[in-house]
Amino acid sequence: MGLDRLAWRILAARPLRTLLTTLGVALGVGVLSSSLAMSAGIEAAVDRTVRDVVGSADLRVAAFLEGGLSEATVEAIRMTDGIEVAAPSIERRTFLGAPVTSAGAEAREAVTVVGIEPVAWSRLHELELVAGARLARIDEPSALITESLAEADGYILGSELRIQGHDQPTTLRVIGIIAGPGPVAGAAGRAVIVPVDVARSAFGLEGVTRVDIGLADGVSARDVAERLAERLTLEPYVLSSPADLAEGLRASTADFQATTALVAAIVLFVGSFLIVNTLSMTVGERAREVGLLRAAGATRAQVVRFVLAGALVIGIAGSAFGLVLGLLLGSLMAGSVRALTGFPAEVSSLNAGSLAVAFLVGVAITIAGAVEPAIQAARISPVEALRARLDLPATRRARLGWLALVFVAVAILALLAWPPAAGATGADRALGVYAVLLAATLATPFVLPPLARILGSPLAAFVRLEERLARGSLARDRSRTALTLGALVVGLAMIVALGWTAQAARNAATAWLADVVPGDEVVTSIRPIGPGEAIRGQLAAIEGVRSVTPIATFDLAIRGLRFDAAAIVGADFLADGRLTFIDGERAAALRALDVGGAAILPLPAAERLGLGVGDTISLALGAGTTLDLRVVGVVERSIPGDGGEAILVGWRDASGPIGVPGADVFAVRFEDGAGPAAREALETAARDAALEANPLSRVQGAVTDALGRVFGLFDALALVAVLVAALGIVNTLAMGVVERVHEIGVLRAIGMTRRQASRMVVVEATILGLVGAVLGAVVGLGVGAVLLFLSGGLVASAGLPWASIAIAAVLGLAGPAIAAWYPSRLASRVSIVRALKFE
Amino acid sequence: MPPILEAHDLTKRFELGESSVEALKGVSLAVQPGEFVALMGPSGSGKSTLLQLLGGLDQPTTGAVVFEGEDISHLSDDDATRLRRERTGFVFQAFNLIPLLNVRENIALPFTIAGQDTSRGELRDRIREVITLVELEGKERHRPDQLSAGEQQRVAVARALVTRPSVLLADEPTGNLDYTTGGELLDALWKSCDGAGQTVVLVTHDARAAAYADRVFVIRDGRIRDEIDLGRRPDHSAAPLIARLAQVGL
Ligand SMILES: Nc1ncnc2c1ncn2[C@@H]1O[C@H](COP(=O)(O)OP(=O)(O)OP(=O)(O)O)[C@@H](O)[C@H]1O
Ligand SMILES: [Mg+2]
Repeated sequence: MGLDRLAWRILAARPLRTLLTTLGVALGVGVLSSSLAMSAGIEAAVDRTVRDVVGSADLRVAAFLEGGLSEATVEAIRMTDGIEVAAPSIERRTFLGAPVTSAGAEAREAVTVVGIEPVAWSRLHELELVAGARLARIDEPSALITESLAEADGYILGSELRIQGHDQPTTLRVIGIIAGPGPVAGAAGRAVIVPVDVARSAFGLEGVTRVDIGLADGVSARDVAERLAERLTLEPYVLSSPADLAEGLRASTADFQATTALVAAIVLFVGSFLIVNTLSMTVGERAREVGLLRAAGATRAQVVRFVLAGALVIGIAGSAFGLVLGLLLGSLMAGSVRALTGFPAEVSSLNAGSLAVAFLVGVAITIAGAVEPAIQAARISPVEALRARLDLPATRRARLGWLALVFVAVAILALLAWPPAAGATGADRALGVYAVLLAATLATPFVLPPLARILGSPLAAFVRLEERLARGSLARDRSRTALTLGALVVGLAMIVALGWTAQAARNAATAWLADVVPGDEVVTSIRPIGPGEAIRGQLAAIEGVRSVTPIATFDLAIRGLRFDAAAIVGADFLADGRLTFIDGERAAALRALDVGGAAILPLPAAERLGLGVGDTISLALGAGTTLDLRVVGVVERSIPGDGGEAILVGWRDASGPIGVPGADVFAVRFEDGAGPAAREALETAARDAALEANPLSRVQGAVTDALGRVFGLFDALALVAVLVAALGIVNTLAMGVVERVHEIGVLRAIGMTRRQASRMVVVEATILGLVGAVLGAVVGLGVGAVLLFLSGGLVASAGLPWASIAIAAVLGLAGPAIAAWYPSRLASRVSIVRALKFE
Repeated sequence: MPPILEAHDLTKRFELGESSVEALKGVSLAVQPGEFVALMGPSGSGKSTLLQLLGGLDQPTTGAVVFEGEDISHLSDDDATRLRRERTGFVFQAFNLIPLLNVRENIALPFTIAGQDTSRGELRDRIREVITLVELEGKERHRPDQLSAGEQQRVAVARALVTRPSVLLADEPTGNLDYTTGGELLDALWKSCDGAGQTVVLVTHDARAAAYADRVFVIRDGRIRDEIDLGRRPDHSAAPLIARLAQVGL
């Protein structure tokens, strides 16, 4: 219909503005769709991993010690009430002998061999064969291999397969090929499934690696876990359930997902500023046409439709392009997710659901942003068309009130699209951040004039007239400026806030290490150094070294749960003043550790086990022995292990019953005032003993580098918000030039040079940038405070993130300056003659 | 005395994609220093186009404009800008003022643009002088939107005069004004010309306004059709001009 064609023509009349706005929508949708796709990818990877690892088993009992679970333990599991199936299996990584078909015996990649009891195992695990038959007995010399392995190494049905075991290779015949990469997690598709007795003899094992358990109907996993804890006291084991596993995997990526989703929502929010602004400008500019339409008999509803039709075009085009951008961004993110969380998120898998959500959210936000301009347009009276010059107060009011509505719309959409794995606390945090940003944007029109005056005054010293006119231009349409500036402030604020959070996290990590490591230098060894060895004495004898304390880290299984543990010398920690005690008496606790039979728990372990000072931990050590450790203290932070904070025990227990062979780390403290010579001597001595000495600061650096990489990704996303803001600035400045074309014409007619005209726009952009940088820093600190407060990490000592503030300042100045390039050219090219034509 | 401003066989063609409009088809004229000249003619005849060429706002397609003995028809943009800033003054029909700036600041604009300090010395006196000339004392701090249309145009005249330009060019400055306020504006132009020897070129299609001039060029269809010499007359009576125009058939 005719009106829609007119809407299209109006968009086409300002191609740059339409293009920039569409690009803004596209960037928002791109970030959203990629983060949704990433979330979905992580979910899918979690589900697949869980399925691969445990199949349909309800529980898994895994061996903790090398020797595996003994026959007695397997039997005890079988006899436990409520257990219907118990399927023991063995898993080992090894190499295959050269296949008979291939010529040379070149080195190959490792494979994972899984030994199973075919009948029990098949009740809990699905196996899809593409060729051949399944295993039938527990001792037949047959193997199933995955399709990927068959292809990679050239095996076919009937091939001979030689498994390198503890002794002679075992020769088996391939009787079946499993579809695809197969169901073994961590095998990267290279899996061989053999009967359990074959695996046992090949690897010379007594026990099995694990027992997968299927429960009888109506039995709860928790009850069975309790019964197992009572029965399996002779050997340490680790109990897991698919739900635990999935939860653990999800938890490890939840923060990451929540932050990504938050930043995506913010980019969209900024994008919505751009839409509201552009469409309002268009309506303002077209007021005369709209008035004429109304005079010619167009109804208000038609006018509304006419504006919304324009928005729809932008929304659809932008969202569609956004999906393409999203795929690009997604593949970039997938790489960093893998590198950062150590978790294989496969974003490349096209997820129709998240694409559709992102597309709809993009279109919906564009339409939401268009509603207010549409209402403004409907309010234009036919009389406006007759006015010689349009100064439309109606189009210049109340846009900010509308922003609150757009905010709510975006918030609701964001919550609908919120990745479930990111969790409710993530959502709280997002809403908190969001609210701070909205409040800041709504406040901009009030703080803009005074701030612009203050920050513009240094400029005024050089370019007084330009500064004055630029400021006037910014003040002319305050809500437009507020939206433009708001977008910039939000983008810069995110950079500052993320920078602060990152810095706080780094500081916390640094402080943590300083709190728990009794040394300035950390000497690590790749082999355990036994108590009898002379190295410790040699290091301690170096001049300037005050103390050398040995630390070993290892794992403990307690009630079916795996914990990190560390052996320490309590007296050394006491003398050095390390560890912050929440419960228990420090001196007594550390002394008790050295005496033996005592443990100090880090807070998370204490909470997880529900233990406090005075309680006893009973450790099964295998071969029927147990060790009782009394909890003598709970500390705020403990030595970091692989997966969490370590439970601290004394060396007497560690080297004795627990069987820790020796220290893998020495913490070395220098005398006060010991010069660099002491450090050098230590490092030389360490090198001579094949040890590696690193200052604690370098260890801290390694930790904080890892954090830096995580936050780097978020920064990249926040940068997209700044980019969207820059698009908005181009639009606003260009609009300012178009609107002031007459004014610029007069100035040029009375002697203003082209350079001055363009400088006017550059100064305008600079003021915008200065105000944006200052507000961005302030708001960023506010957002950062909210984030840190909600994650419980707001400490006064965190210090201000000067580096991020500097980055925000540079971006705040450079972004608008670059954005001013086109509009300033526009201003310098204003044709006097045309500008003065009576409009 | 040599003319201060001359046009030699000026033509101006506007290209409009496929077609083109020939706004001026060979115009020649000369203006003497201190002279008050009016350009009259029906709408679309090319008056504004001619004025723009005379003031260096645009360049002719062919022909030359000689300003104080210098050919200005092919000046670089920077030179044309300097010419406008230092040697000409413009008054347009409307929207001459920068809404953000007050009366004094608007008048001081040409100096401000040139980076000169107008708060003291000679420039300050000159600004005070032109404010007196256009009778706007006491309204220095007013914003344009707090002034009547006539006052706004007088501010524009003051701004055009403050640099003491060689020529003041005005394009229908009374077009938006009623009879009385239009008269006040014309009186101000006349005072500057008669009192201070200011050269004025006025575009108008109002015979009463043209009657302030010493000489009137009648333009029609891009050509000068008639030149009417009225001489300097303090009474500004329009009668002789109207009679003459009737003869020409206007
Ligand atoms: N920039 C331009 N592009 C195309 N044509 C133009 C342009 N400027 C003027 N013209 C044409 O040149 C002719 C003369 O225009 P000009 O503005 O000089 O007339 P005028 O005598 O000042 O009329 P008016 O009394 O209405 O102001 C007109 O036909 C006009 O359409
Ligand atoms: Mg004209």
